[in-house]
Amino acid sequence: MHLAFSSNGVRPLTALAETEKAVIVEVRADVHGRADRLLALGVTPGAGVTLLQRFPGIVFLCDQTELAVERDVAAAILVRPVEGHA
Amino acid sequence: MSCHVAHERAAAGQRLLALRAHPLRIALVGQPNVGKSVVFGRLTGRYVTVSNYPGTTVAVTTGRSLVGNEVCDIIDTPGVNALEGAISEDERITRDVLTSRQSDLVVQVADARNVRRALMLTSQIAALGKPMLLALNMVDEALARGIVVDAPALAAELGIPVIEMVAVEGRGLPELRASLACAARPRVSAHPNASDRAAWAHDLTDRVRHVSTLSLASIQEALARATRRPATGLPMLAVVLYALYLFVGVFGAQTLVKLLEDDVFGRGINPAAVWFADRFIPIALVRDFFVGQYGVITMGITYSIAIVLPVVATFFLMFGFLEDSGYIPRLAIFCDRTFRVMGLNGKAVLPMVLGLGCDTMATMTTRILGTPKERLIAILLLALGIPCSAQLATIMGILGGISFAALATLFGVVLGQMFLVGWLAARVLKGERSEFILELPPIRWPRLGNLLTKTRLRVWWYLGEAVPLFLVGTALLFVLDRVGALVFIAAAGRPIVTGLLGLPPATAQILVMGFLRRDYGAAGLFQLAHDGQLTGVQAVVALTVMTLFVPCVANFLMMVRERGLKTGLAILSVVTPVAIFTGAGLNYVLHAFGIQF
Repeated sequence: MHLAFSSNGVRPLTALAETEKAVIVEVRADVHGRADRLLALGVTPGAGVTLLQRFPGIVFLCDQTELAVERDVAAAILVRPVEGHA
Repeated sequence: MSCHVAHERAAAGQRLLALRAHPLRIALVGQPNVGKSVVFGRLTGRYVTVSNYPGTTVAVTTGRSLVGNEVCDIIDTPGVNALEGAISEDERITRDVLTSRQSDLVVQVADARNVRRALMLTSQIAALGKPMLLALNMVDEALARGIVVDAPALAAELGIPVIEMVAVEGRGLPELRASLACAARPRVSAHPNASDRAAWAHDLTDRVRHVSTLSLASIQEALARATRRPATGLPMLAVVLYALYLFVGVFGAQTLVKLLEDDVFGRGINPAAVWFADRFIPIALVRDFFVGQYGVITMGITYSIAIVLPVVATFFLMFGFLEDSGYIPRLAIFCDRTFRVMGLNGKAVLPMVLGLGCDTMATMTTRILGTPKERLIAILLLALGIPCSAQLATIMGILGGISFAALATLFGVVLGQMFLVGWLAARVLKGERSEFILELPPIRWPRLGNLLTKTRLRVWWYLGEAVPLFLVGTALLFVLDRVGALVFIAAAGRPIVTGLLGLPPATAQILVMGFLRRDYGAAGLFQLAHDGQLTGVQAVVALTVMTLFVPCVANFLMMVRERGLKTGLAILSVVTPVAIFTGAGLNYVLHAFGIQF
């Protein structure tokens, strides 16, 4: 990626503000199969994400895929905000 | 790719062909909702249902296609996000097609916007060692979002043909046919694990895909946003439901049914049939078989064509519109929390809403759910509470004519019962639910051609599926009536039907027929209500019981096919008492409070 990172630390996707852009750093694999399923949908380290909506469910754009997930899943996706959008 | 090597290979392939014992088998594989079924339709001329949500295709369809002068078998498969790891039942079906000898060649269909995900799958297909090519579909939509994929560069990197397509318009199809001979094993080094694969796909995507900030699809994006936000999404849902009620419940179930039943059948066909029978059929028994009280024409045909068909047709049209717009999966965002209480997650909204079309088909669609427990609960709830289109017809036809409160009571009781049974099932059944992760398709304006084709085929399917059963049911009723069994059934059912449920004795036979097909039973109720033999309370109670019954023989057989005989019988033995006792409870409460409709 050619994007500059801010000095902001890594945080879960749930901690982003709506419309905030970030890059995925890690997908925590603490529930069986979760990381596999996310990976298959393109939710992988290095992919760009934008949080679109927090309620009633979390909706985010990952690369070109719009995904709806429950809170626990979003919390397992660790991201680093992209500078200039934080 | 430069194709002279490929042409030699193709020539060799054609020599091989002469020795082949079967036609070349080409599997169409790809992520969900990338247009495999459209490509299949274009190649074979066979239509398989095309919609705008992941999971429309959950079974394999095969068709023949002529490529050059060679006959090929084309295989349409359920969409897959991955071929290994945690995969659902429909994905397993595709994996089996790919790993077995069922396929010789693979055409990977991909959404041009989503090359990165497509390549992750390409790498997994490559590992199977079958010749393949990559079809980048929907390049028009990608372009509208400012995404350009350098297909020649990608082809050079992968060593396979890469074809750009807009399959719904037939663009790129000739190129696809021409390139089949050039299919090759991709030059992709084996990736030991998923993260290596992802990193490879990511790097390659960076090299071949250019994204500009230009976006021409802003109206669709604004609509997509509006459908998923509570402040706009919930009012939109209310508008959609109201439009559904107006189009299906009022226009279909009242205006069209009245026209067909009273005018076409009541004043035209039926009197003509009776006149004809009186003149030309001398034997009374045969005459009654056709035009009597339980006559094949006066009852069987009238029920299926005049009462149920108009509603089924209007419903399928509206429903197809919703399917193709991409709206239905967005409801999952609102349902997720409620479904979690029932041991499911938001994804289950797809089979549930599809059940309103046909519970039997929806039972198959439960394959997209993550765990066996979720599938079982979804199948149980479909059987218990989701009225299919034909049955919605009669519900709307009868209760719509009584009052809105009657309609609200029925749906309130049925939804409450589903919630209760789902809550119990989530606690009693072993296993776990999966986490809610759902891809949302883009909002699109439905294509009229697809909408009409889909509706036409579904109406034909209804005619082929339901009408014969209606006729068999009518014939059965006729026989039962003649041998005096109807009186016996009415007598045997009296403690339940008139005692517990407070219904007229004639309802017993209708409930029995409801086992054959719920809508057939409901059509019987429609007739009864029409003749003024049901009070408002009786209509609500009878329809509630009928709605909670297992939908039809076909649905029961599908449950057995998907989950085994034991489970099928278990579901039946849960659903039937729940239906009867709910009806009894409702009857008691309505009378205790003196409620009339």
